[in-house]
Amino acid sequence: MSIMEYNGGSVIAMVGKDCVAIASDLRLGNQALGISSNFQKIFPVTDRIYLGLPGLATDVTTLRERFRFRVNMYTIKEGREIEPETFAHLVSSTLYERRFGPYFIEPVMAGLAKSATGGFKPFIAATDLIGCLNFAKDFVVAGTASSKLYGVAEGLWEPDLEPEQLFETISQTMLNAVDRDAYSGWGVIVHVIEKDKVTTRTLKGRMD
Amino acid sequence: MPDMVTLSRSSAPGQPQQRQFNPYTENGGTILAISGADFSVVAGDTRQSEGYSIQTRYAPKVFRLTDKAVLAVNGFAADGNMFVKQVRQRLEWYRHAHAKDMPLRAIARLIQTMLYARRFFPYYVYNILGGIEEDGSGAVYSFDPVGSYERESCRAAGAAQSLVQPFLDNQIYFKNQVPQPGRPHPKHLPLTTVIQLVIDSFTSATERHIEVGDGLEMYIVLAKGSPLHGLESIDGVQEMTATNEGERIFIIRRNLKRD
Amino acid sequence: MFLTRSEYDRGVNTFSPEGRLFQVEYAIEAIKLGSTTVGVRTDEGVILGVEKRTQSPLLESSSIEKIMEIDTHLGCAMSGLTADARTMIDHARVTAQNHSFTYDEKIKVESVTQAVCDLALRFGESVHDEEAMMSRPFGVALLIAGIDELGPQLYHTDPSGTFVRYQAKAIGSGSEAAQAELQDKWHSKMTLKEAQILCLRILKQVMEEKLDRHNVQIAQVTTDKGFEILDETRLTGIIEEM
Repeated sequence: MSIMEYNGGSVIAMVGKDCVAIASDLRLGNQALGISSNFQKIFPVTDRIYLGLPGLATDVTTLRERFRFRVNMYTIKEGREIEPETFAHLVSSTLYERRFGPYFIEPVMAGLAKSATGGFKPFIAATDLIGCLNFAKDFVVAGTASSKLYGVAEGLWEPDLEPEQLFETISQTMLNAVDRDAYSGWGVIVHVIEKDKVTTRTLKGRMD
Repeated sequence: MPDMVTLSRSSAPGQPQQRQFNPYTENGGTILAISGADFSVVAGDTRQSEGYSIQTRYAPKVFRLTDKAVLAVNGFAADGNMFVKQVRQRLEWYRHAHAKDMPLRAIARLIQTMLYARRFFPYYVYNILGGIEEDGSGAVYSFDPVGSYERESCRAAGAAQSLVQPFLDNQIYFKNQVPQPGRPHPKHLPLTTVIQLVIDSFTSATERHIEVGDGLEMYIVLAKGSPLHGLESIDGVQEMTATNEGERIFIIRRNLKRD
Repeated sequence: MFLTRSEYDRGVNTFSPEGRLFQVEYAIEAIKLGSTTVGVRTDEGVILGVEKRTQSPLLESSSIEKIMEIDTHLGCAMSGLTADARTMIDHARVTAQNHSFTYDEKIKVESVTQAVCDLALRFGESVHDEEAMMSRPFGVALLIAGIDELGPQLYHTDPSGTFVRYQAKAIGSGSEAAQAELQDKWHSKMTLKEAQILCLRILKQVMEEKLDRHNVQIAQVTTDKGFEILDETRLTGIIEEM
């Protein structure tokens, strides 16, 4: 029995044109037994950063609180909102603190970074359970359906997708990947982050 | 490589020692088959590996059995090659006994009985059989190592099965796609679309899986009297059958990334 | 041929100096003692007809079995030592079942006939360490009727293991007269109905007893229904039409 597969669940993030999207399934399981079909694993960090935490459910809750605490401390100390890249390093170092007794979570994050010209630049990143960062330019995946997500995303994703197209791409990727994974599924939630708004949609999926 | 392991116990002389022989290994790679209304496409990459080493960049995994049947074999290469050899021998025997080529569904059943005959020392291979049925329709049969089988219109197997199959669910079966009112999803896709999907599947798998790459071999079986469906305009297509009286088989080769 | 009797007619696997196997030839003779059996092929299907000779009024004619099913698409009628036919038909049935188990398709009529004939030659003195073989040739001839992808077919097999395809064939005691009649009456445009009537007419001609629904049996193989032995009602119907 792998701890990473104990509760199941998957997350993916994708880059679009001036937007990013992050999606997860809604299942919480106890190995093969389904427990909940509304288990959130993606959380807002700031207005423009979302964090997905697939892995062991108890660590999802713990890490969410730890990151909330650390981001609040950062905001208070710095007097400004944290930037996505900074947050990624915060995630990384938080996880590496527990190098030899890790949280069983592989975080995925998506956000829009402020650029020097005042615009916003799409940003996504993921780490392994001890905080090794992966800044991909296209998409990042994690969770029990990760190999499926890689396959579908590699086939469907293309550069410079508009928000609506990006939503369609990430939704199809997620739905079709989790349908082939016994530990993920039971509905999908998608967040599309643009400079002035975040659109959140819950998708119906197969319930088996 | 199949090998002998001595399990570590007391090395004192006169003490019993335990040895274990593992007759199997896994040689990576991926195979894929898709059927259309009057054609069938069977493909596989040509890389053969063991662990992190590439043994060869060209080891075919797809084999032509008859003018209307193509078999793709993935898993333990030695078992796979031997299995194909034995299937071919059985096809020849059948031809002599019954004065005809074995029909596709008969080959499918034969493969089941051959695999199940080795239920307790299985051929460590996943088989996908593609071709044309007696009624002229394109068909794909997929098998597990002990002979459980099913006719489908699309199947991926091997190292990158988990990457490719959900993509195919979406693109071939239109899973999770809602049709527009009055415009249902097509039951069969055109040949050129299928070929493009196969190439895309393998480039994707090559990108993300270390055991997939080097080369792609795609066999296309056309039903008797079927048009070329735009096959003639595809780069580097080669015909393998001598006449166009019966079913026709074509092959398309593509390079895949070698890293 | 009986003039040349010698020690060569004893061993089943010894050729005579003239190149003959007497036991096989005698076996073929045995068939001529059997009751008459006819088979007729048409484009709609194949008809098999047999005479059921009853030596005693106490004998239950329904217990005489001279037509048997091999598979749903294959039937068989016999003449000669009918007990021998059981071994052959058993082999044919196993062969047919094995074929559909292994290939998920119906076995061809020729293939099942070939299988039966392969068995017909497995006689001889068994050698030490070898699987026990049959001690003598079969004393029975078969008419194997069936339908496969090549259409309706009728095969004749004899104890020598030879098999030949026929449009219409008669075997058994009345076979000479019956075959002559078949040659006269058979035509390629024959319907199944016509073939049924032809079979009965020929049996009637060669039988000593008066033909009725108890002393003949008719079976047919058609594309739609496969092999079936006609029940008394249908048989009576044909007898009346004759």
